[in-house]
Amino acid sequence: MILRTQGKTIPPYFLVPALLAGAGVLLPLLYLVLRAFEADPQALAELVFRERNLHLLANTLLLALGVMGGATLLALPLAWLTTQSDLRGKRWLALLLILPLAIPGYVGAFALLGASGPNGLIHALTGISWPRPSGYWGALGVLVLFNYPYLFLNLRAALLGLDPSLEEAARSLGYRGPEVFFKVVLPQLRPALYAGWLLVGLHVLGDFGVVSLMRFETFSYAIYLQYTASFDRVYAAWLSLMLLVLTVGLLMGEARLLRGLSFSRVGLGSARARQATPLGLWRWPALGLVALSLGAALIVPSSTILYWVFRWPGDYHRGLEGIAQSFLHSAQASAPAALLASLLALPLAYLGVRFPSAFSRTLERTAYLGYTVPPLAFALALIFFSLRAVPFLYQTLALLVLAYSLHFLAEAIGPIRSALYQASPRLEEAARSLGYSPLGAFVRASLPLIQRGVLSSMALVFLSSVKELPLTFLLAPVGFDTLATRIWGYTAEAMFAEAAPYALLIAFFSALFVGLLLTQEKRA
Amino acid sequence: MKKAFSVLLGLTLALGAAQAQQSLTLYSGRSQALVEKLVQEFQKDTGIKVNVRYGRDAEILAALQEEGSRSLADVFWANTSGALEEAVKRNLLVQLPASLTRQPQEFVPSSRRWVPVSVRFRVAAYNPAKVKDSDFPASVMDLPKVAKFKGRIGWTPTYSSFQDFITAMRAVKGEAATKAWLQAMIAAGAKAYPSNPPMLEAMQAGEIDVALTNHYYIQRILAGVGEGEYEGKGESEEEEKKELAAKEAKAGVATHYFAPGDVGGLALVTGAGILATSKNQNNATRFLNYLLSKKAQPYFVNEVREYPVIAGVRVAKGMLPFERALRLSPKIDFAKLTDLEGTLKLLREVGLL
Repeated sequence: MILRTQGKTIPPYFLVPALLAGAGVLLPLLYLVLRAFEADPQALAELVFRERNLHLLANTLLLALGVMGGATLLALPLAWLTTQSDLRGKRWLALLLILPLAIPGYVGAFALLGASGPNGLIHALTGISWPRPSGYWGALGVLVLFNYPYLFLNLRAALLGLDPSLEEAARSLGYRGPEVFFKVVLPQLRPALYAGWLLVGLHVLGDFGVVSLMRFETFSYAIYLQYTASFDRVYAAWLSLMLLVLTVGLLMGEARLLRGLSFSRVGLGSARARQATPLGLWRWPALGLVALSLGAALIVPSSTILYWVFRWPGDYHRGLEGIAQSFLHSAQASAPAALLASLLALPLAYLGVRFPSAFSRTLERTAYLGYTVPPLAFALALIFFSLRAVPFLYQTLALLVLAYSLHFLAEAIGPIRSALYQASPRLEEAARSLGYSPLGAFVRASLPLIQRGVLSSMALVFLSSVKELPLTFLLAPVGFDTLATRIWGYTAEAMFAEAAPYALLIAFFSALFVGLLLTQEKRA
Repeated sequence: MKKAFSVLLGLTLALGAAQAQQSLTLYSGRSQALVEKLVQEFQKDTGIKVNVRYGRDAEILAALQEEGSRSLADVFWANTSGALEEAVKRNLLVQLPASLTRQPQEFVPSSRRWVPVSVRFRVAAYNPAKVKDSDFPASVMDLPKVAKFKGRIGWTPTYSSFQDFITAMRAVKGEAATKAWLQAMIAAGAKAYPSNPPMLEAMQAGEIDVALTNHYYIQRILAGVGEGEYEGKGESEEEEKKELAAKEAKAGVATHYFAPGDVGGLALVTGAGILATSKNQNNATRFLNYLLSKKAQPYFVNEVREYPVIAGVRVAKGMLPFERALRLSPKIDFAKLTDLEGTLKLLREVGLL
């Protein structure tokens, strides 16, 4: 029985929105299947059963694993440093460390290429010619630099929600700092790690901008080529379905790992305020790591963008004409999408954590499928369905907002889910016993505890929406240009000077938004 | 009440109709950076409001197909003839009036369902610090045989202009020779880039010395190095050559033109057509006429360094005169350049796609 799991009934006001969100995400899949069945079987066999696909598969998997590993090496220490250590200004550092997410991947890759080599910025400044990134290691490096914040945000939300009494108990039992971290803290971070890995992994599976510039071929790149080079929606649909099979594999892996986890506090009262861990002499390597991350992922790319203004002089002011309007458009589409995605993610994550069953987990996981449907296919699917079912919505801002929120729903689930794992269900039960309705109990008892997770979700969806391209191109109202579409328009014509103000504004704007969210965080 | 409602409804409809009269919806595969200014000029001159949806050719084409008969688009302005021919194949474009197809003499497709708007040529770019113009063979077909270029050539196998070039090569040299050329290039270590700007940037950075590209990418880089003035300002040809060489040396990019008639100097066009679903055929025709006008054509030269399709437009300094550039291109029936499918198949066979 669907509505009852472990003797508890799922309240309809969680179930209905969750089902709707799941259905919304599944629409593009339905579209892909519809298109896939238009294929001519023989030509299809030639395209699907190619040796090259195996090669692409291996490349894609190796890259995904490599980036997940690299991102962990960067994000885990950084998240710990900015939450639990006595590093000064750590909240501001945290803000800066999230910002690489605001730089569209292909712009970042372009900028890092522009910084290296004998003509690059690094050479111009220091006289040392940094090798140009390319191939597997180039793609890995660039993707780690611009995607580690997914993991960082998830881990940060989890670390801030940890109850310090567990660590204190471990210390009182004689464990030392590093042992406490590995035996007590790390295991509690597992939901956040899995959610972050999943996002990073899915992002690598879906990326084509960075890998194409690094000249490393993956599955998504092949799909992108299929759509763009041959104007072909049918075989592209097959390749997309193959990518989705990969995603399902990844999701099943994560589901296995998550099974039976429970990390909420069971004690009485509220958690004690945390004492910051003094770093001592470790402060210097810690600062070094922060400087290295910020330097490579933020300072080098943004100074390269500035450098473009001077290397291609004369025209950057021309690009400034429409900048206010594009800015407004980006805000109008991305901010509501961030809100809507969190609202949709809440019931999905809630069902997955509080009513664990095969059904609720599947429902939650469908959101991730929407994330790996190539955005171009996602957009085509929404054109297809909206024109048939709700034609008055086509080419309206509402449809664009809906598209962003459904496509990026997966990014919103992780932080909320991690937060829910830490919020004890006992509190809600207590609220129920005091006469609150299930919804009232959730709002009064759990919502305040997962507030941080919700904010992280909004930040992630916002940052992704701001830099999104294919959905914007195809679903925005006619004449609606955003910062990202402008940047693409200029860089595609090699007008880097004109693109520069837009790229800097996107980063600045995202910084403001994330800053606003972080100020809402409880003082850590 | 009912009456008031129907009056209101009538008014709304009338207003809507009036607005439809004075507006135009353009789907543009050319980027906003290039199109916007021209569209604004058109609006100013005609009072017709133009709503533009920007995208890449393929995205727009896919969207047009999904929209089907419900499409709001009036004009499709594409970056490649390939996309336009695909639109013709899918019956998305209407036959254009003779007033439109008569104007540009060259390149009008036999279907007469779209008009060329600007012209570009395939060329080789090279780094003058590493390679001399005289190092090049007469034909692009012999490029992989140059020992000095081994491992130093860049190309863009996934890019539309490159694929058009391969389609032309198949038409001129045949399937077998084209396949052999592709394999020889791969054996010579040709490096694949996703598009032209990063490829030329890689050349400036010393990753490669030679790149197969479109002429205007080089012109744009050179224009960024110094002032781009009109040709024929009274300077001697000798002086002009010197000035160009100095610019090329500074930019680290120069143009090599293959021998006249070689497929390496292929002419390609961008173009526009009117959609069958358009309810604004009049305004759409006016827009296409505007694109081909003496007022709009110089824009493509000045902003993009492409060639005009009508006579009497001056090209920028450093660009070959149009007639000379045209002599470099092989004479190919445009209808033969539509077999993109066959080119993609070949590129897949040799493992480039």
